[in-house]
Amino acid sequence: MMNILWRNIKWRFKNKFTIIITILQPLLWLVLYSAVAGSTMKDTGITNYTAFILPGVMFLVTFSSCNSGGIMNFLMKSSGSFYRILISPVSRSSIVFAQMLESILVSFFEVTILYVVSIFFSVHISSGISGIILMAILIFLLAFFLSGLAYTISLCLPNEVVYETVMTAIVLPIFFLSSALFPPENLSGGLAVSVKLNPFTHVINALRSLIFGEKIVFSEILPVILLFVLMCCGSYALAMWRLKNETSI
Amino acid sequence: MLAIETHELVKQYKNGVRALDNLNLEVNKGEIFSLLGPNGAGKSSLINILTTFYKPTSGNVTMLGKDICKEPAWVRTQIACVAQHISIDEHLSLMENMTFQSRLYKVEPKVAKIRINSLIDIFELSRYLKYPTASYSGGVKRRLDIAMNMVSIPKILFLDEPTVGMDVMSRKAMWEMLLKIRDEYGTTIFLTTHYLEEADRLSDTICIMKNGKEVAQGTLESLRGYIRQNMLCIVFPNTREAKKYKGILENMEFTKFAGVRGNSVVLGVEDSRNSFTIVNKWLLEHHVAFDAIEIVEPSLEDVFLALTSSEENRGGRGL
Repeated sequence: MMNILWRNIKWRFKNKFTIIITILQPLLWLVLYSAVAGSTMKDTGITNYTAFILPGVMFLVTFSSCNSGGIMNFLMKSSGSFYRILISPVSRSSIVFAQMLESILVSFFEVTILYVVSIFFSVHISSGISGIILMAILIFLLAFFLSGLAYTISLCLPNEVVYETVMTAIVLPIFFLSSALFPPENLSGGLAVSVKLNPFTHVINALRSLIFGEKIVFSEILPVILLFVLMCCGSYALAMWRLKNETSI
Repeated sequence: MLAIETHELVKQYKNGVRALDNLNLEVNKGEIFSLLGPNGAGKSSLINILTTFYKPTSGNVTMLGKDICKEPAWVRTQIACVAQHISIDEHLSLMENMTFQSRLYKVEPKVAKIRINSLIDIFELSRYLKYPTASYSGGVKRRLDIAMNMVSIPKILFLDEPTVGMDVMSRKAMWEMLLKIRDEYGTTIFLTTHYLEEADRLSDTICIMKNGKEVAQGTLESLRGYIRQNMLCIVFPNTREAKKYKGILENMEFTKFAGVRGNSVVLGVEDSRNSFTIVNKWLLEHHVAFDAIEIVEPSLEDVFLALTSSEENRGGRGL
């Protein structure tokens, strides 16, 4: 597994623009959108809007990083290394894990950049070191789930163009129908139900509570961790199933 | 001992295409085995099954005495495959590509280092070490591709049209390397190719496939026996003339098949002596300019054409 991970990291180093492309849009949301929208959100009681949207932007950057991890399947198929690795004595689980782990590492790298940038906007994690550890766990689970999903979708679709279109079509509704940009308390009707049913709303809320709250409310965090552990198992199982299907045509 | 044995092997894809249809073949250990066949014969499907990439629909495949469906993980440790399209990672250097491949096959780092150096020498790659792999020519990339696949010293090496797109010199150099691999490492080489000369030069055993079935299998000599016939070769002043008269000669009653080779027309005939007289007479009576006419031994190309051309092309006369 480490061998394939090493190879994928080498690819990422060689193609640094993939990091820039995936972080650019979330960075714009964090810097420009928070500056513009921050002033209009003061009435809602949000003191630091950059800190408020940081969890949503963390979700966005994690999604982008995992999305680019799925692209690797298309590159590997066109270069022939996908076939070469599949017929080598490496277990299918190691192949999937290595690729997912690379996406997770890139996600962590980009989330760290976002956090460092947000420090310049007076953002700090009120819950301290334990809060940071819990945030890392949440981001790991989020990235694990999304990378497994991206892996599965990339193996289901015929080429990069269709893949990118599908992923863009997925991310935007998920992002806007969550609590990423606004407090969901004032929503009502179908919109409120949609936002509540969106699992990413809960991970964003959990991250937000760790940023703003000085005390960690485990009763809010642990159910989210549990939910995402289950979702990660499902996403990994899907990725494995799809990889095995590749060879049973 | 057999390296590969298939028995009544069938591969039917989910879209209904039956790529392999009760295929039986045997590959001896340590030999170069060439698989020939027209496009769509089922060669790639067979390689994909033998390399454990696809599962067969039915039938048995034994590799080095073990069933590949029951023990695919073990089989993968014993084989390597040089695919039709060059498969190197261009973001890795030559050494990194070799190292990555050695780690995939869990070769001890010390052993891997020795093997990599030896393979770099055998495949004459040392002068490319300092350049990025993306800048290599197709021939050098292919050499690296094969060298990488040899780093685990596989018992069986699959090569799917390895010399496609290579110039004549590179191809001949590659042939020498393949013979070296067989002789020095005792590797069984399973080769698919469209170049009949390649199969002719390299193979210990040749198998000709058509429509997912083996049509003939054996040494070149034994395959010649399949089309137990002598052939006529008529040499014309130029290729244009040869092409012009090919159709007429092909439609003669005794002709089984015909082909243009340079400025010659080669005819597969039932009775070479009789046909020689008739063709000679016809050419002279019709004042056709030709330089020579002779009875020749069938080449591998003739055997291939005879066994794979359709019934219609041969006027409905089977062999």
